[in-house]
Amino acid sequence: MRNKLVWLVSCLLLNPLVMQYRSAVPGYHYEFPRDNFNHPDFQTEWWYYTGNLRTADGHEFGFELTFFREALTREAQKASDWSAPDAFVAHLALSDISGGKFYHRERLNRPGPGIAGVNAETGRIWNGNWQIDWKGNAQNLRAISDQFGLQLALESQKPPVIHGIDGISQKSAGAGHASHYISLTRLTANGDIDLGGKKFAVAGTAWMDHEFFTQQLGGGQVGWDWFSLQLDDHTELMLFRLRLKDGSIDPFSSGTYIDAAGQATHLAQKDFSLHPLGDTWKSDSTHAMYPIRWRVTVPSLKLIADVATPLRQQELAGNTGWSPNYWEGAIRLTGTRDTAPIAGVGYLEMTGYDRPVPLGQPLAEPLPGSSNR
Amino acid sequence: MSRLTLFYRLILRPLFREPLRTALTVLAVALGVAVVLAIDLAGNAAAGSFRSSIETLMGDSDLEVTATGGLPDAVVGTLATLPYAIRVRPRIQDFVTVVATGQTVPLIAIDLIGESADQQIITVASGEEALKYPGNLDGVWLGSSLNAKAGSTIRLLINDHVRDYTVRGVFDDSAEGGAIVVMDIAVAQNELGRTGRVDSVLLKVPDSPPLAEWQSRLSGALPAGAMVRPVGSRTSENQRMLAAFRWNLRVLSYVALLVGGFLIYNTISVSVVRRRPEIGIVRALGASRRSVLAAFLAEAACFGFAGAVLGCALGRVLATGALKLLSATVQALYVSSRPGAIELTPASLVIALLIGVGMSVIAALPPASEAARVSPMEAMSRGQREYATRVHQGRDMLIALGLAAGGIICAVPPAIAGKPLFGYLSAILLIAASALAIPAVADGLLHTSAHGLQKIIGVEGLLASRSLIGSLRRTSVLVGALSTAIAMMTSVGIMVGSFRQTVTTWMNDQLQADLYLRPAGNPASDQHPTIPNELADQLAKLPGVAGLDRFRAYEFSYEGLPATLGAADFHAVQPFRKSAFLSGRSASDVYSDLQGNDAVVVSEPFAHKHHLRRGDSITLPLGDRRVPFHIVDVSYDYASEAGYVVMDRATLLQYLPDPDPSNLAIYVAPGFDLETVRAEVQKTIAGHDILIFSNRNLRAEAIRIFDRTFVITYALEAISIVVAVMGIAGALLALVVDRRREFGLLRFLGAATSQIRKLILVEAGLIGLLANLVGFVLGLALSFILIYVINKQSFGWTIQFHWPAAILVSSLAGVFLATILAGLYPARIAIRLNPIEVVHEE
Amino acid sequence: MNSATGRVPLTPVGQNHPVASLDRVSKEYRSAGQPVRAVDGVSLEIFPGSFVALVGRSGCGKSTLLNLAGAMDFPTSGEVRLDGVATSSLDDAGLTRLRREKVGFIFQSFQLLPTLSVIENVELPLLLAGAPGAREAAKLRLDWVELESYAARLPHQLSGGQMQRVAIARALVHEPKLLLADEPTGNLDTVTGNLILALLRRIATEQNTAILMATHSSEAAALSDVVVHMRDGRIEQILQH
Repeated sequence: MRNKLVWLVSCLLLNPLVMQYRSAVPGYHYEFPRDNFNHPDFQTEWWYYTGNLRTADGHEFGFELTFFREALTREAQKASDWSAPDAFVAHLALSDISGGKFYHRERLNRPGPGIAGVNAETGRIWNGNWQIDWKGNAQNLRAISDQFGLQLALESQKPPVIHGIDGISQKSAGAGHASHYISLTRLTANGDIDLGGKKFAVAGTAWMDHEFFTQQLGGGQVGWDWFSLQLDDHTELMLFRLRLKDGSIDPFSSGTYIDAAGQATHLAQKDFSLHPLGDTWKSDSTHAMYPIRWRVTVPSLKLIADVATPLRQQELAGNTGWSPNYWEGAIRLTGTRDTAPIAGVGYLEMTGYDRPVPLGQPLAEPLPGSSNR
Repeated sequence: MSRLTLFYRLILRPLFREPLRTALTVLAVALGVAVVLAIDLAGNAAAGSFRSSIETLMGDSDLEVTATGGLPDAVVGTLATLPYAIRVRPRIQDFVTVVATGQTVPLIAIDLIGESADQQIITVASGEEALKYPGNLDGVWLGSSLNAKAGSTIRLLINDHVRDYTVRGVFDDSAEGGAIVVMDIAVAQNELGRTGRVDSVLLKVPDSPPLAEWQSRLSGALPAGAMVRPVGSRTSENQRMLAAFRWNLRVLSYVALLVGGFLIYNTISVSVVRRRPEIGIVRALGASRRSVLAAFLAEAACFGFAGAVLGCALGRVLATGALKLLSATVQALYVSSRPGAIELTPASLVIALLIGVGMSVIAALPPASEAARVSPMEAMSRGQREYATRVHQGRDMLIALGLAAGGIICAVPPAIAGKPLFGYLSAILLIAASALAIPAVADGLLHTSAHGLQKIIGVEGLLASRSLIGSLRRTSVLVGALSTAIAMMTSVGIMVGSFRQTVTTWMNDQLQADLYLRPAGNPASDQHPTIPNELADQLAKLPGVAGLDRFRAYEFSYEGLPATLGAADFHAVQPFRKSAFLSGRSASDVYSDLQGNDAVVVSEPFAHKHHLRRGDSITLPLGDRRVPFHIVDVSYDYASEAGYVVMDRATLLQYLPDPDPSNLAIYVAPGFDLETVRAEVQKTIAGHDILIFSNRNLRAEAIRIFDRTFVITYALEAISIVVAVMGIAGALLALVVDRRREFGLLRFLGAATSQIRKLILVEAGLIGLLANLVGFVLGLALSFILIYVINKQSFGWTIQFHWPAAILVSSLAGVFLATILAGLYPARIAIRLNPIEVVHEE
Repeated sequence: MNSATGRVPLTPVGQNHPVASLDRVSKEYRSAGQPVRAVDGVSLEIFPGSFVALVGRSGCGKSTLLNLAGAMDFPTSGEVRLDGVATSSLDDAGLTRLRREKVGFIFQSFQLLPTLSVIENVELPLLLAGAPGAREAAKLRLDWVELESYAARLPHQLSGGQMQRVAIARALVHEPKLLLADEPTGNLDTVTGNLILALLRRIATEQNTAILMATHSSEAAALSDVVVHMRDGRIEQILQH
């Protein structure tokens, strides 16, 4: 449920001609590897990688590498390498859990003459020198920045999961207020992390989300909390809750359970609960108070677990103004399933804690935050 | 006796007694220093302007990637995806004219979206704004100094078209060195008609490995034609290109200083001669030779210091004017430039002071050491001792001949590191030779002419020539100062006149077409705005158009120096064009060699700079390739100092496929009326902002630009002449004071005041005449050095010698008149003297 | 013998037109802000052929009197007449003309122009006056002072006595009626000085030229017809030989 770019870029559009784009409606026929790549008919699309890694001697890391595509226009433009039908945003974050440090970078580009884009033929999704390279089911991630970088070979252990019902993940009331949402919930990851000139050989697990849609959110939503959890019994959970203005939880909140064989089960809002436990972390830069300890309950799985983060500062507070501020970080899970102890790792994303996220209807004005730099 | 007391008695007190002469000497030094400083400051500011117009919005970039004719867009993608932590900033640079004000400002196109997160560039414009209008191609961001408001519209002339653009934002341009217009690259490519290419890509690379390693790493990843260089390379290339021009200008500015040096020499000599008895007395009272030497050197240093201080202030004022002239020249001959700010740095002030004081002390050495040789006995010697009777004419003449021979020999060796050092040495030796020859020449001429003068002018002629001989050293120094200034005027006059005549002759051959068209964009010589090729096609089909030459020009860099790459449609113009080649071959033979081959003609300055000859091979970076070309000939060319490489249009299109020409030349078919064809052309290009020049207009325009480029040389000459004439006025004042008894005596002997005035004016006139004579001969010699050595070695132009008779005669006459006028005030002083007092003074 | 303010006939009776006459002439000028009366009410007439010596201490007004008599300066009061013409009636050009025609000067330090040859020095007054036949007149004069063989020399090649003879030739070249001599022997040894004095004596006698000579020398005074003693700007005593 990574909606950052939606309210980012769509708000910038003076006349977001939604009609130019296709909406996510039931009955979409998924096909791989085609659906690993670009869907230019849809206004918004992203590929989202997170993961928990460690070196052989126990140095723990978390990472996030995200590629967003937001359509700017589908009107015919003069032929130029530099015309901008889409904007590509990318985020890169590294959590040096053992070192207690958090690093992140962002970039915005037009496709330009090969600067950013998605190419199904070569299997590449890239923004500058941050890229995903598909080779069959394997994906090679590479991202380089002035301070840190990573290079990871990912191998999926399970087939792609399609979330929601009938191939759509409904986000608010109304037809088309939904997305096509695909995940690879258990990827083994091997590779290197460069940090301040030092190289760390790492291994671990990663998670990939790929979502494409047009205008999925509704009014009244102020933010969300999203969890990806990889349990040590080889099962996974994706859970999100949408918070409403009045403090209640939107009924369109939902989740998915993936069993050890890769079979996915849709979880409706009533099927689980996500409950903050009162431990908060206050951001110095945005003054947002993020709940960083949660109780996760899934009665149907007899799962009761606490989720906490090993690194409190994992907020991506941008300085460019064209990205919202959010907390996205590595988490650890401990609890019981069917009375047996269970543990796991995962990623948590929390938005709308510094100010309400203007979800839903697009605005005619730029974000308040954007003029705030 | 303390040195200070000595200094005060011997030096300061007498100076205060003659405030006007002291002031004139100080002013002469001041002007000399001011000219040197002004040329230096203006040169720096003019050179600095390349930095600000080309190297704007560079951020913290370390490297730049360029290619002749621009880089293919794909290079940006390649660079952006390299696995290095580099920042990639593509650029298109051009110039636009703000229609409302006529101001031409740099246009910098950047990747507004990709660079919006760039902390270095973010002040300019925001990605949001660019994202808001993805399909609109009319947004510009303006520097605050253009005084436009965001949201308003601004009318701009780009290439050959005028359009209204929406001002999307205004940014603080104070750090950018002046007004600029910023566009997104997508918009700029469309507006400039340069789809598919960017001019350069700026790169910020990590601190390690070293820059050179990054350069080779990145070169390896890019096409062969792409050049990876540290940023500022173009500035230094431009500065290298301008070096010869600035160097010569600087040398010219030192002439005024040299003239000032003559005058200091004269002033100190006068001091020494006048104060011989005092020197004798202080020596008798125990002052050492060294103290006396020091006192007179200190006098010179005082003049130098006061002059330099004044000169610094004056230089700053002159620099403003010099900068205007200089930047016009730079713009016309070299690169688009905006004058930078004139920066009076402490370093340049210190240098000006050192130059002023140093020059004065050196000039004062001979008379001061003469003072040091005065024996205490002379304290008692009565009577007026004539002004330095010790002139070793014969010995000096021999030395002069030796120096002149040395000067001629020095004209032979080639340039050292592109600088005609031997040429300058040759000029210096010739100036020195003439200075040493002047006493003998003046003595001989005045002796032989004295009675003739008496017959023509009257007794004043006799008296004047006799008194000039009597104070031969003073006469020689004054003639030396003025003749140096005149020689410079004459030599530069002959050189410029010859150059002008050569250019005119060349243009007559070169410019055979009847109409010339170019876009009404920036006319700077390194800018090549284009005309749509379809328009050229239409023009070619017009009735009465017998031939159409499509000339396309690109700026490129060859072995670290900028030059122009051009292509002409030789097939279309073979019957018309008549360029002249160094080999002497006919134009049509050379044109035949060019067609269908990887062959080029290079211009003489280009061949000179890069030591190329007919038959050599030259590898040119073209787009993304490097291609070897055969040089079929070297052409005479006076259009560009940077030089031309010209190939056939079809050849160029193979490598750089953009068909739009930069210039068009139309040949009218016989039997058709030029004006009718012109009207047709005018009709066809309606809606495009294209300038049409008739053959005559274009020549006039070329000559106008030519003349403008030499205005600064004329200004420098004028200042040297002013310094020399001021020196003569000062020297005549001294002369009046020194010879007051003689004037008084003449009154006793029956001379009328008018005769005294006439005597002084005749002396001034004789000095002027001698200086004109010596200056003209020296100037003629120097003009040969200038034309055949210094110019040839600095710029590579072959110039045919030509007498600019009218200009020479009028300027020589003008200087002569000025010299006589310089005698007016001293003459007035002489008339006012009381003969009784001065005759009885002992 | 007579009062210093009186009108004193200084010439033999019968030559009735004085070359120069000074009538109660005074000359004041300012020195260091104070008015100084250099000549104070002097009356004097000088007739052709008379040789008058002015004696007195330095600063007694001899030179000033000489300049007044030579039309180089105007008196503050009183009248100076040269050959009957009152100097005060003339402007500067008129004075110049008067000098060119009537007056010759010789000086203690000879005052030859060092850059001109001997003959050129001699002919200078005629040249300045624009008179014809300068060279011939100059030759005659040089001949007269017995220096014709030195015509082409430069002054510094001559002895002091020779220089003064050249100066005398120069002073006489235009045949002035009045020769004014300011200490003509002051820079010369006694023998040479006496030769010069003898020459002056001859000039007065043979050419009927009036000579007014300022001098310290008693020999010089002895050779003159009249000795005028001056003190503090006034005539103290006049002695006729």
